[in-house]
Amino acid sequence: MSTNQTTGVASKRAYVVAIAVILFFWQVAAWFLPDFLMPDVPAAFVRLWEEFNSPTFWEGLGNSMTRLGAGYGSAIVLGILIGLVGGTLNAVRSPLKAAIIILQSIPSIAWVPLFLILMGFGNLPIIVVVAIGAFFPTALSVMNATESVEKVHISAARVMGASKFQMLKRVYFPAVTPELITGAQLAFGNAWRALISAEMIVGFSAGLGKSLAYSGEIADMTGVMTNILVIAILAAVIDQVILERIKHRLLRYQYL
Amino acid sequence: MKLQFSQVTKSFGDLSVIKQFDTTIETGEIVALVGPSGCGKSTLLHMVAGLQSASSGTLTAGGKSVSKPSPERTLVFQEHALYPWMTLIENVALALEFQNQPKQAARAEARKWLDRVKLTGFEEYYPHQVSGGMRQRCALARAFIARPQVLLLDEPFGALDALTRMTLQSVLKDLIEEERPTVVLVTHDVDEALYLADRVLVFSNRPAVVLKELTLGHIPKTHDLSAFADIRRDVLNLLGIDTDTTSTPVEQGETV
Repeated sequence: MSTNQTTGVASKRAYVVAIAVILFFWQVAAWFLPDFLMPDVPAAFVRLWEEFNSPTFWEGLGNSMTRLGAGYGSAIVLGILIGLVGGTLNAVRSPLKAAIIILQSIPSIAWVPLFLILMGFGNLPIIVVVAIGAFFPTALSVMNATESVEKVHISAARVMGASKFQMLKRVYFPAVTPELITGAQLAFGNAWRALISAEMIVGFSAGLGKSLAYSGEIADMTGVMTNILVIAILAAVIDQVILERIKHRLLRYQYL
Repeated sequence: MKLQFSQVTKSFGDLSVIKQFDTTIETGEIVALVGPSGCGKSTLLHMVAGLQSASSGTLTAGGKSVSKPSPERTLVFQEHALYPWMTLIENVALALEFQNQPKQAARAEARKWLDRVKLTGFEEYYPHQVSGGMRQRCALARAFIARPQVLLLDEPFGALDALTRMTLQSVLKDLIEEERPTVVLVTHDVDEALYLADRVLVFSNRPAVVLKELTLGHIPKTHDLSAFADIRRDVLNLLGIDTDTTSTPVEQGETV
């Protein structure tokens, strides 16, 4: 417990230092470049404050979070199911794994034109692209973990008379949870990148990516930097606060 | 439940593990299988559990051919068979939950069984937080809670220190006396076999055949096995351990 706390404090300090250094380099660039190319750090924060008071900003944020939630959420659920099935059925495991390795090497943004035409201009192609980005790392980590579940844990459940479903729910699922969480964090990075880039390209209704692309089009560099700031802060909050908290909760037994 | 082996043979490819094994184990009898490491005793046990099948020959439990695991024939493993993500009480209750008993009832019953193996107060601990001896006490509770008719023990105390092992042997002996299942015990420890079993089968190296069958009968015993000194010497000799006083003496309690 004490080591966890000290590493926790150390990692928080590392984050504070990293943020300070990044903002410092930004400000140095702003000193050398004219304002219309690179805004000052305080100017971006002032704009951020203005954005917080504008309903358009919240609408865009809401849209983006909805797309992220739908795409990332369905990818996690599907990834767990496919991963467990693939990991337990010897017949499909190797071809499925090969298919995933091939497909995940395609940047998810490359699917945008296809799905845009297939599904029409709207939320759906963005959600699907987000889901594709998140699905592969989730399924792959669950599948690998499923294969390496300890034999004695499976045998013990069998002699206790576990049904197939009980086996999946009470043995396989908890056994793969540590790897699932690592996979889900990796998947979040993919999903987040896919979301912002898809929104920038598709430009359907308000959203963080669209807002960023629009600021660029009208050469509003303060707007560009403010949007980047929002994207960075949100990603850090979701990953470091929400996902980490879920991880500690699900893996409580490891931290005792 | 009566166990009948007739001409049971097992081979993995070219590797012959068990050769034409014949025996009948009566209901309530306690039989120990002793033999060198890797001689196939555990394979025999796993066959009774229904985790593996014989290459040829027949194995019946209660007159019915054994084809798959059943909670009436349960197996206690050497170690690491408790689920690390569950507390001790959850691990024990799981055996009943797998048989579709309601959660609350299973928990209440598990509490009783943890008390019987003297683990009261440790219900909410995770396996990695308690000692190896306590983990095996918990494993015994998890095996007995389902009231199996056949109890299979695969070197259950092999990973424990000598003193803890003897304490656990007494705990097991008491449970067996109270519950009276048919017991098959695989062990390296000759003293353990003599202390617990009514009958001891001594196996040869692979492919395993029975070198000798020693019937002790169901008699009261303590850890003072001096009354069985002759039998003990016989068994050790069969296992290739020198007991001649003119050469290097065998240390008391040394496992084979």
